[in-house]
Amino acid sequence: MNTAQIRLATLWRREVNRFMKIKKQTLGAPLLETFLYITIFGAALGSRIKHLHGIDYVLFVIPGLIMMAWATNAFSNNSSSILQQKFQGAIQDQLSSPASPAELLLAFSLGGFMRGLIVAMLTFVVSVVLVGLPVDHALVLIPSLFLVGFFFSQLGVLIGVRAEQFDDVAFAQTFVLQPLIFLGGVFYSASLLPQPWETLTRFDPIFYMINLVRYGFVGFTEVNIWLSLLALTGATAALFLVNLRLFSRGYRLRA
Amino acid sequence: MKALDIKDLEKRYPNGVEALRGVSVEIEEGEFFGLLGPNGAGKSTLIHCTTGLAQPTGGSIEVFGNDAIDHYAEARQAVGLAPQEPNIDWFLTVEETLDYHAGYFGMPRRERRQRSKELLETFSLTEKRDERTRTLSGGMKRRLILARAMMHRPRLLILDEPTAGVDVELRLELWHYVQKINQEGTTILLTTHYLEEAEQLCDRIAFIAEGQIVAEGTSPELAERFDVANLEDAYLALVGRGELSRSHIETAPDAETEVEA
Repeated sequence: MNTAQIRLATLWRREVNRFMKIKKQTLGAPLLETFLYITIFGAALGSRIKHLHGIDYVLFVIPGLIMMAWATNAFSNNSSSILQQKFQGAIQDQLSSPASPAELLLAFSLGGFMRGLIVAMLTFVVSVVLVGLPVDHALVLIPSLFLVGFFFSQLGVLIGVRAEQFDDVAFAQTFVLQPLIFLGGVFYSASLLPQPWETLTRFDPIFYMINLVRYGFVGFTEVNIWLSLLALTGATAALFLVNLRLFSRGYRLRA
Repeated sequence: MKALDIKDLEKRYPNGVEALRGVSVEIEEGEFFGLLGPNGAGKSTLIHCTTGLAQPTGGSIEVFGNDAIDHYAEARQAVGLAPQEPNIDWFLTVEETLDYHAGYFGMPRRERRQRSKELLETFSLTEKRDERTRTLSGGMKRRLILARAMMHRPRLLILDEPTAGVDVELRLELWHYVQKINQEGTTILLTTHYLEEAEQLCDRIAFIAEGQIVAEGTSPELAERFDVANLEDAYLALVGRGELSRSHIETAPDAETEVEA
């Protein structure tokens, strides 16, 4: 490996090491949360609802839960990691190294991406074993999940860099991210909602992400797949460029 | 060759505070240079601008001929920083702290292992290698910060008040160590409030006050410049507290005798 690769690998290893050291909190808790959702919505509600658009209700819900697990873990990992390091001053060790803004940004992004990937993969494996979750369109599913993971990693980085106190991160997660995810149709189909809620749901960007992932798993969607994929790619790239500019300027990182 | 060449450096913070107002300093390769000044004079800001932790608003900084902004990677590669505040990562162990730091500077794994073993030994940290950094005592944290700054074998070592709040033993250990690496060729920039430390270790010293270098030279040159007996009195003259000079304390018993008579 050359020196740039060693730098990037070390920065990334630090991020992964951080969440692995507190894995009860960073991996155990989100896994338990996801399985509780599956139990409640699959076993309890599923026994009454049975099918939605011809799909087993539990299979209808699980793709959204996998997406939600990847998204929230990627977001919270990166926002917390950056803010904690700013708070401790430990980020100075990385900022005073020869690492470029792009290397720093990539490493922070990939830390949360990995945490989300681990939780989502474990949820997927358990779902395959327990309820036989299918994969209908792998070529849509894989890029969709990777883009969702990377988008929320970037969002976590953005909030972590901007945040000045832990309250700022908690606010973004509790009052912005979670409502958007829950109202984006993880547990229901937008077409079942009365107006104006059905139309309003279509203004929620997460609605499109959930539909992409749902289409990848069970082949059902309420949106145009290719347009959604294109929009998600554009949004992820735009967010990455915004973050890169912040890192290059040293916004709230360098005095 | 100049290890550090700072010209007309300015730093104005967004809140309007002018921390540096046209600072120029040259440090030759292999030199042991001291930077003295009262709290808030601009010492740490100058160091932060040099290491990329703060962004200058004017002037230039070159580290071994590399511009600290345009060629930041080469400039930072040459610098090791032991900051004033212990800025260590609570999640890491002592050994990981050293290993990761060297990785950030692109050092290969085998070399990192060898180097961290060496420095753990030098700074009496070997027994603590697997402990989380947050469990360390203040003195141990200080040792770790110094070891971390040395991990990537910097050509310019910046020590920002390295002996503040440490015991005599560690202070003397550090003095021996930095003198040794200075003799081996490492350039050192030291900020300290202990004037005897600067007098003992530094080849040249600069006084900084209100964001400007106000005097520069060897310890005797500075004393001569302020027309006083030693470096401490020169410093007191600089900050306008000449009445605190130890020479006044030494004359106190005579003064008491006069009063009694």
